[in-house]
Amino acid sequence: MLNIEIFSVLTHVLLFGSLYFEVFLLVSFLERLIRTKEIEIATAVQLPSITIVVPCFNEEHTVARTVDSLLALIYPKENLRVVIVDDGSTDATYAAIRQYSNHPQVTLLQKENGGKHSALNLALKQTRTDLIGCLDADSEVSPHALARIAHGFRDPRVTSVTPGIHVKDPVTLLQHMQKAEYRMSVFIRSALAGLGSIFITPGPFSIFRTEVVRSLGGWRHGHSTEDLEMGLRMQDLGYLILNDPRASVYTIAPRTIRGLFRQRVRWTYGFLRNVLDYRHMIFNPKYGNLGLLILPISLFTIGGALYLAGRMFWSIAMAVADVLARFAVTGWLGFPSLDPFFINTSVLWITVYLVVAVTFGIVCIGSFISTGSRLPPRGTPLFLALYSFIVPFWLGAALVRAIMRTGVRWK
Amino acid sequence: MSAEHLRSTAPSPRSIRWSTYVIAFVITAAIFGTAFYVSNYFSAKRVAEIRATQENISIDILSLETQFDLLAEHSCEDIAENSVLSRELRPLAARLSYIEGQASFNRDELIQLKRYYSLLQIKDLLLMKRVAEKCSLEPIVILYFYSNEGDCEDCERQGYALTALYEKYPQVRIYSFDYHLDLAALDTLISINKVARDLPALVIDDEVHYGYQAVEDIEKIIPGLESMRVETATTTAQED
Repeated sequence: MLNIEIFSVLTHVLLFGSLYFEVFLLVSFLERLIRTKEIEIATAVQLPSITIVVPCFNEEHTVARTVDSLLALIYPKENLRVVIVDDGSTDATYAAIRQYSNHPQVTLLQKENGGKHSALNLALKQTRTDLIGCLDADSEVSPHALARIAHGFRDPRVTSVTPGIHVKDPVTLLQHMQKAEYRMSVFIRSALAGLGSIFITPGPFSIFRTEVVRSLGGWRHGHSTEDLEMGLRMQDLGYLILNDPRASVYTIAPRTIRGLFRQRVRWTYGFLRNVLDYRHMIFNPKYGNLGLLILPISLFTIGGALYLAGRMFWSIAMAVADVLARFAVTGWLGFPSLDPFFINTSVLWITVYLVVAVTFGIVCIGSFISTGSRLPPRGTPLFLALYSFIVPFWLGAALVRAIMRTGVRWK
Repeated sequence: MSAEHLRSTAPSPRSIRWSTYVIAFVITAAIFGTAFYVSNYFSAKRVAEIRATQENISIDILSLETQFDLLAEHSCEDIAENSVLSRELRPLAARLSYIEGQASFNRDELIQLKRYYSLLQIKDLLLMKRVAEKCSLEPIVILYFYSNEGDCEDCERQGYALTALYEKYPQVRIYSFDYHLDLAALDTLISINKVARDLPALVIDDEVHYGYQAVEDIEKIIPGLESMRVETATTTAQED
């Protein structure tokens, strides 16, 4: 009986923590809304020069659309350079990018395979513009994205600005669910920006001051998540990273469970290994909200999610065992009662309903601040209902690999 | 917007607004408190619903006993063997079983409800015996003794089997008792029927059967069940 009570208390504490984190982000977001006005798109006089690096490895089918979207940016042509780096592709990627070899804004580079960070550093060596950024070769930008992001650099304290990332043309149910998830991430990133606590500078279209990146020594391998490593390194040194949710970038999301699983294991593994490298920041108020709350709660979320998932799967297993026992005895499965008396209204379940409701609200806010739409994506109900069954598997796999230090494959 | 305005509104990576932490905690605690309040409200409502049902059953039993006394010299046709009690008692059993499985319900309150329910069953059993004796009826009665204290592996299966039996033969009167319930009347019933602590136990025709009994096993123990099913079908056909 004592064991059951301990588990019950632990479950309630974890749910309280989850709810507290969501409420904290919402309160921060609202406070910032009250304090600031919306940033306008910069005028031509103010726009800095910028180099966008497109590192490619076997992206023959998507790289042309990526480059075309960059060349279609509404930005002074003389202030925008595109550097495409073929990182030792074994397919027809270089043939696909050769069409741009005579374009005045485009530079092509080719090297042996060394990872995304090495491709970025090669381009960094040749960059003389004020700003430098990266766009993954499977992503595309909206025409106004760069002008919006560039405006963020008017404050000399700002060293990086991150965009709002969306799923490009979702087709499968899984991609639609990810679309809802990305809208939630748009809100979270915006809220973290208001707290000065962004610690991931996403690969698709995060822009940096070139001099800052150079002074940091460029990008590192970062356990296959160089964007996370760069973000933590900048936070470690007190650099300010902002976000503009309306600077929209569209990226291809995995179509299958297998693809999604591989991607998310890599992300989670990278998070765990990088946070271990920067563990001096955890619970350290010197690093502001990031050290005091954001990093610790992100870590606990992994353990907490695994525990809650374990409890959920156990409850489902017990319910299925009950149904099978009844079937074995009576020969029929029975129908669930429609009597409202039997609706579960325990504190645990009401709190779960509330966490789901708040998450739904967050997805809606993310949609609104990035696209202006008041409706969430159509995959939102599925995302809320099913994601909690999928996430624990990649969290568990990443945790095991992080503990065993086995590493992860990019592709 | 001037650069000076941006500098004053852009966040600092090192700053902490403690008020945000406190406000968020207060709001979260308020939400959690509301969840507790709502959960307790619905729990109390369920208990009140069960109590009300039990009160109604108690009044019905008293009414039937009084009716029986009033009609002592009259025809048995005026008294129905299958009173409304069977219809009311079974849904009550399902509700009690449900709240017994919910950790959020007060255990003392639950025990009280179970004790009252067991008393109502015993009252119904006694009244039914009086009616049967007076009117020369032969109702089929099963007393089922179970335990929820982990000492009865087959009790869950037995419960499903009895539910299936009742659905097949609605005329059968099945009375379920928690063997370990602290109730003097129940202890007396156990003593009278000489039920040992070997559960599940079924008492049929004054004979105790220990261990799991499937529907087919009970049909063999009670040969009269099949004829009851035929009678029910015939009655149904006549009503049509």
